[in-house]
Formats: sequence, structure tokens, C-alpha cells
Amino acid sequence: MIELFDVTKRFGEETAVDGISLRVESGELCALVGTSGCGKSTTLRMINRLIEHSEGEIHIDGQPIRRFEEDTLRRRIGYVIQSTGLFPHWTVARNIGLVPRLLKWSPERIESRVDELMALLGLPRETFADKYPDQLSGGQAQRVGVARALAADPDILLMDEPFGALDPITREALQDELRELQARLHKTIVFVTHDMDEALRLADKLVVMDAGRIVQQGTPLELLHEPATPFVESMLGGDDRGLKEASLVTVGERMLALGPRLNATARVHRDATLRQALAVMFREHADRLTVIDDEDIPVGELSLQRLVGNTRHE
Amino acid sequence: MNERGVPRRANRAVHRWRLPLTWLALLLVLTVGMAELEGVFRWIETDSRQVIYDRADFVTLLGRHLLVVMVASLLATLVGVSAAIAVTRRAGRDFLPLVAQIASMGQTFPPVAVLALAVPVLGFGTLPIIVALLLYGLLPIVRNTLAGLQGIDSSILEAARGMGMSRGQVLRQVELPLAAPVIVAGIRTSVTVNIATAALGATVGASNLGDPIISGIVNGNTAYILQGALMIGLLALTVDSTFERLALRRARR
Ligand SMILES: Nc1ncnc2c1ncn2[C@@H]1O[C@H](COP(=O)(O)OP(=O)(O)O)[C@@H](O)[C@H]1O
Ligand SMILES: [Mg+2]
Repeated sequence: MIELFDVTKRFGEETAVDGISLRVESGELCALVGTSGCGKSTTLRMINRLIEHSEGEIHIDGQPIRRFEEDTLRRRIGYVIQSTGLFPHWTVARNIGLVPRLLKWSPERIESRVDELMALLGLPRETFADKYPDQLSGGQAQRVGVARALAADPDILLMDEPFGALDPITREALQDELRELQARLHKTIVFVTHDMDEALRLADKLVVMDAGRIVQQGTPLELLHEPATPFVESMLGGDDRGLKEASLVTVGERMLALGPRLNATARVHRDATLRQALAVMFREHADRLTVIDDEDIPVGELSLQRLVGNTRHE
Repeated sequence: MNERGVPRRANRAVHRWRLPLTWLALLLVLTVGMAELEGVFRWIETDSRQVIYDRADFVTLLGRHLLVVMVASLLATLVGVSAAIAVTRRAGRDFLPLVAQIASMGQTFPPVAVLALAVPVLGFGTLPIIVALLLYGLLPIVRNTLAGLQGIDSSILEAARGMGMSRGQVLRQVELPLAAPVIVAGIRTSVTVNIATAALGATVGASNLGDPIISGIVNGNTAYILQGALMIGLLALTVDSTFERLALRRARR
């Protein structure tokens, strides 16, 4: 658990972060979103003390972070940055083993941990262990960056626009991988991004920042339903935010379970998003879809009425 | 490596080191066999009875020359690299602009002037030339070490600190290895230039390969000058091509 109490950071005259309070529960992924220069990275780097906060208190698991020795604190916190920061003169395996080596694990334990992580991040050992960072694609390098951050199995992960430099397809693939990873590992993650779609996809809790302050925080759906200010609304894409909400809800949550009619020929998978279902309706000129499961067996029906959340006429 | 690469490796090593080995061989041949070339030098220098420099043998001169350059370069490397490291740390940051400026300007300062300033303080002999070479050789090393350290992508250092490496660990495991090629290039410049500059030592009584040159100038003996220049040139080429080989090997990892 990470808590910020009225935290302020000044660089000379300039106030980069202005009295923010925030609580990230254990196992929660908290996304900090905002335009460039609003203080997201500064907030993140105060948590691992790469930047010392000027005022307020930051606690990890109830302990003020200033009570820990800097390097000890950082070895307990995974850190992933956009440009990866991999050491170009070290192999992939050596890069991943960095923190365990700092913690003086035995060579055998480091090696088996590195193997484990490479498997977890989909980097076959035979292909990648002895490569150097400049031999990797952007997506592979960022996977190594994540593996390095996870190496000593920290409870907390700080990620600063980790997928910001990747092409859209690779970015989405890595977002999905992060979601799967998080479902298994339950880390406490603070994830900085300026990409609202990314934040909506990944976040349990969404924090919108502007000019060093928190403008609104809540679950993605809470923000989509009730944006507190015009700024948050515009961050959420204005009129587009209905579609963003549709991307967050699955067909399974809105469908009518196996009814008597089921005569619709157009089909959609239960785990598809409402947005995808809407696209199918458009394409098939249908206002009713049959919902299927993994075995292609019909399990329900989704009408346009239900899709938009109007259930009165059913 | 592929299968064909293995048996050929030894062969290739010789091939790659061919240039430095050639210069070294020529240097050694000339050192012990200068007298054999008497005919050639007599043809160049027709006026003098004596055409092979013989006030000291070339082995001794080469040895002294090397010793002075090695001592000066070693000290220059130690001092230069340490200074550049110091001013790129947090505590020494204030001195960075000053040191960077001296390092980039100092090269325009002629070594003769350094020597002229050193003699009144240190007297004649080997010491003033070592000091002059040390000061003169310091500059490329400081400049390159600064460039190497400052050229490191700041995100690499941020990650290193963010992962929990101590400042010392970052310096030893990240900064110095990454800056090494640039630092070594600075040492190479320093050593090569100093091999030539060391000849000036002969003017302040430090006997070395500069002796035949000075003596040749004083006595109007072109053959002497040529012998000293040849030896110094070959020594510089040997050392420089050795550095080049080492640099290539590093680049290939
Ligand atoms: N080390 C620093 N020194 C001075 N100003 C800084 C420093 N780091 C960040 N800032 C300033 O703080 C503000 C917030 O920066 P940052 O947290 O990096 O924004 P974001 O990550 O949201 O784009 C910016 O105006 C930036 O110029
Ligand atoms: Mg940032």
C-alpha cells in the first residue's frame, strides 16, 4: 500500500506537484493520467526517492519512506521507464539479474530466477539470454525492462509511460500482457501515462492530474459516468467517452442469458467488449446478436437496447 | 562462432595484429641495426665523417624514451581520469565548467612553453620533461573522460539509480565501462602525442630519442636528425596501431 499525504514538490520557484493526497491499495493498479508536464513523473519518482519531496509525507505499508535507506528502498520497488534504461554493455540475462545481484543472491538462485522471468515475459532463453539490448526490438526491450523490475519480486512497481514509445500494435499486446501478469501477481502498481485509453484499459483506479494537482480520482467507470470538471471530460474524449465506456464492459455483463428466441444470425463472443459488439451490429446491419462461448455454443443474446443499457422493453 | 571460425582463429589474430607487429619489427630492427644502414646515411649526409649517432646506443635511448612516456602517461591517466570523475560527481559539479574549459583550451598551449616554465622550478634532467608531458598529456584524457561520462544516456543512469545501485556501483559498473572506449581514445592521443613531444627532453638534459635530433641540429648533421625522427615515428606508429587494435577488439565485444 502506498499513501501520499499532502505531498508537494518544488523545483526552485516552480511547484511541480502541489499538495496531492493519494492512496494506492495493495494489489491495485493506479494510473496517473494528465497532459505533459503536469507532474506525473515527479510524483512517481518521489515514491522511490529519485526525487525528494518538499512537503507532506509518503508512506509505504504505513512506514514513512524517509525512514528507509534510499538504495534499500529502491531495491524493494520495481521501476520501469519509457526508454527502458537497459545497460547496453550487459546481456539481457545480466540486465534482468541486476537487482538480485545487488541483493547478493547466490548465482544459482539468480540464474533460475532470470529463467523464470524470461519465460514469464515470453522471451525464450535460448534466443534472448545472451543478446545485447541494441539487438532487441522496442517491444522486446520493454519486456526485458519489466522483467528486470520484477526480478527481486518487489511488492511495488512504478511504471513511467512504459509503452509510450511503442507502435500501437505492440503497445496493445504489452498492455494485455501486463493485465494478465497483474491478474497473476497482484503487484501494487503506479502507472504513469498520458494515453487515456491505456489508462482506462489497465487501471483499477484512475487519477487525473493537471498542473501538479489531482483533479479527480476513482474507478474508470466512475470517471466516465461523472467527470468532475470539463478538463476531465475532455481528457476522457468528450462525446467519445460513451464509446470508451463501451470498451470497458463485456458482452457477458449485458447479455440476456440463453432465451427462447436466439434467432439472430450475427454472433459475438461473450468476452468481447460492448464496443466490439456494436461494431458487429453495424457491420451486419443487425440490432440483435447471438452471444457464444469458447466452444461456439450460444449462451445468450444481446440486443441494441440492452447494449446501450436500456432494459425496460425486454 | 561458426565451425569454420575456430581453426582459423589463431591465423586471424596474427592477421589482425599485422600492422602493429610490422611497426614493432621495423622499430626493433632499426634499434639494433642502425649501423648497417651506414651506406644509406652516408649518401644523405655527405659532408660529415660520422653519420651514425653513437654517443649512446639506440637501445638505451629507446628505453629512456619509453620510460619517460610511460611514467608521464600513467600519471596523466590517473590524474586525468580521477579529475574528470570528480567534477562529474555531485560534490565536484561546481568545478566542471572550469575543468572542461581548461581541458579544451589547454591543447593550444605549446609543450615547449610548459617545458620552459618547468625547468626554472624543477631544474634540468628527467623530472621537468615528465612534468611537462604529464601536464600536456592530461588534457586529452580529461577532455575525453568528460565526454565519455557525459555522453551516457541519462535514462541509463536513472534506471541504475532507480534499481537501487549505489553511486559507487553506478560509476564502476555502468559509467566507466560505457565511457571506456572514449577514455581509451583520449589516452591513445595523449600517449602518441607525448612520444613525439618527449624528444624535447633532450633540450633540458633528459637523454632520449630526441638526442640524435638535437645533436643533428646543433652539428648540422641531417643523418642524426633522420635517425632520431625515424625511431620516434616508428615508436609512435607501433603504440598507436596497438591502441587501434585494442579499440577494435572492444567494439566487437
Ligand atoms: N529535475 C527537475 N528540475 C527542475 N524542474 C523539473 C525537474 N523535473 C521536472 N521538473 C518540472 O516539473 C514539472 C513536472 O514535470 P514531470 O513530472 O516530468 O511532468 P510529466 O511527467 O507529467 O510530464 C515540469 O514543469 C518540469 O519542467
Ligand atoms: Mg513524464
